[in-house]
Amino acid sequence: MGEKDQGKTYRKYEEIEHPSDIGLRFRGDSLEELFANAGVGMFSLIIDIGSVETIRDMDIRLSSESSSYEDLLILWLEKLLYYFEVEHMAFSRIRVKKVEKSGISAVLYGEKIDSKRHSILDSIKAPTYSMLSISRDPGSRTWEGTIIFDV
Amino acid sequence: MIQDGDEEMNDYRIRQINSYKWEVEMDASRGMRVPGIIFSDQELLEHARRENTISQVANVATLPGIVKASFAMPDIHFGYGFPIGGVAAFDPEDGGVISPGGVGFDISCGVRALRSNLSLEDTKDDMENIMSIISYSVPRGLGGKGSTHLSVKDLERILSGGVKHAMKMGYGMAGDEGFIEDNGRMEGADPAYVSQTAKKRGSGQLGTLGSGNHFLEIQAVDEVYDEDAADAFGLFKGQIIIMVHSGSRGLGHQVCSDYIKVMQKASDRYKIHISDRQLAAAPLDSPEGKRYYGAMACAANFAMANRHCLAHRVRQALEKHMGSSAEKLGLYTLYDISHNIARWEIHEVNGSKKRLCVHRKGATRAFGPGGSHLPQGYMHIGQPVIIPGDMGTYSFILAGTEMAMTQSFGSTCHGAGRMMSRTRAKKTINGSQLKLDLERKKGIVVVADSLKGLAEEAPQAYKDIESVVNISTMAGLSRKVARLRPLGVIKG
Repeated sequence: MGEKDQGKTYRKYEEIEHPSDIGLRFRGDSLEELFANAGVGMFSLIIDIGSVETIRDMDIRLSSESSSYEDLLILWLEKLLYYFEVEHMAFSRIRVKKVEKSGISAVLYGEKIDSKRHSILDSIKAPTYSMLSISRDPGSRTWEGTIIFDV
Repeated sequence: MIQDGDEEMNDYRIRQINSYKWEVEMDASRGMRVPGIIFSDQELLEHARRENTISQVANVATLPGIVKASFAMPDIHFGYGFPIGGVAAFDPEDGGVISPGGVGFDISCGVRALRSNLSLEDTKDDMENIMSIISYSVPRGLGGKGSTHLSVKDLERILSGGVKHAMKMGYGMAGDEGFIEDNGRMEGADPAYVSQTAKKRGSGQLGTLGSGNHFLEIQAVDEVYDEDAADAFGLFKGQIIIMVHSGSRGLGHQVCSDYIKVMQKASDRYKIHISDRQLAAAPLDSPEGKRYYGAMACAANFAMANRHCLAHRVRQALEKHMGSSAEKLGLYTLYDISHNIARWEIHEVNGSKKRLCVHRKGATRAFGPGGSHLPQGYMHIGQPVIIPGDMGTYSFILAGTEMAMTQSFGSTCHGAGRMMSRTRAKKTINGSQLKLDLERKKGIVVVADSLKGLAEEAPQAYKDIESVVNISTMAGLSRKVARLRPLGVIKG
């Protein structure tokens, strides 16, 4: 699983193995790309992402008292999970406009889940702090993160 | 392989105490306050070592106020903060803490079993129809559709009143509450401590199964090991049993997410050194500790009410299909237990009775005979323990023992425990082939929304449940009453 962007040497996101749950590794040229790929990557674990059309868009802005990008990532993914569970929305494209430790603003593109067209793969209970990391490769300058989801 | 006697594993010294009990020796240099005790055989211990779960047992032993030991049940495997299968008791008079990581994301995940007057003969050749009508009545995968959408008022009342309020809303049969832990209502619940986000996630999810390892099964009693206990629990060979494995859904998941953040700040404030962020904790008598307990109890009430509503829908479906009332079909609650919970309990420590907060994360309470909290008819037997097997394999009914009270704060295993990762299971197991195999070779009717999800829960991805149950029995933590064989499975 995972998606490789044209012109990029890395996968934007990929599933990683965990003894009891599911992990995700995600990358981006900027923090904005990194957070967008983490979000779409999480949806790729939940739903057959190729079947999610980008017919609706939603502007979101999330402010936080986070002291780190890792903490912000947890809040961000919890928010996306909330849209999935409560609003029954799935997103296959995310454009993150700005990431700061104090918050994130983004546009989410997707649609309401339709059980006739969409197949649910795993329901994620929560993003966890286990193995949570965000770092930047000093050579390639690519951002990379890992997270484990409780399923 | 681990040899008998002393052996170093992952730098932890592990000493064999007897065939099914191992001690992770206390190492003060790692901050351990007590030793670790693992109930296991050599093979399962070796698996835990390879997964690096021993370090999680040791990490729990560093938490303030921990009493006796950091325990792990035979189905031990790698979790977050606490190992799954972990049991730890904390003393408030010794700075004892409460940790959301010791309960887990699915607060009060547990099992409800209903017995019946039906036997294999009554359902023969009819399982496909039975499963199809139940599957139509029970909402599962994505929360919302078909569930009971609760008003703000009713949600608050479910959170504080649990099954008692669900009964008032018309769910269940008279007398059900007597066969649920805490009579279906955990004390100390305060909805004010549950966030709006958690409430919104829960409001559309009462009476939904959820996914992952959650299931609803129709089973048959396949083997009776203990006639007296089986009589007391109303079980007989060939009997049809209904088992519901589910938890507190998005509401509980969000309570855990919310309070891990609160506890990380609290750990700093109270200078609790934690080696893993998921182990964040606060003293039991601190404002943060009390708020978490109040919110966790709300999630437990929601979980018990959720299983209650699911059981209600199964009863309704069977009533309709069989053309008879639930009373006539004998669809009474055998018992309802949680295997992810922290609760206040009285335990004997060094000859005196102490009020402790016992965390069970993927472990089941297994109190011995005589407990006043037990239904009258079960009192001479001990608490029923329901062990849900993985899909397509046996489940078990056990009974608590006196020995469990002294060995593990009255706790035993909760299930098989994973052996293979979900990622590997999806890659190596074909969901549609698995469904076919279960149906053709084992004669089990399988209803699943996702074939990939089905593959993740394949029997070969789990440890052998019989060996986990046997080790729990030989270690004295519980005794076997009956084995249940699945006839029909609805996987969430």
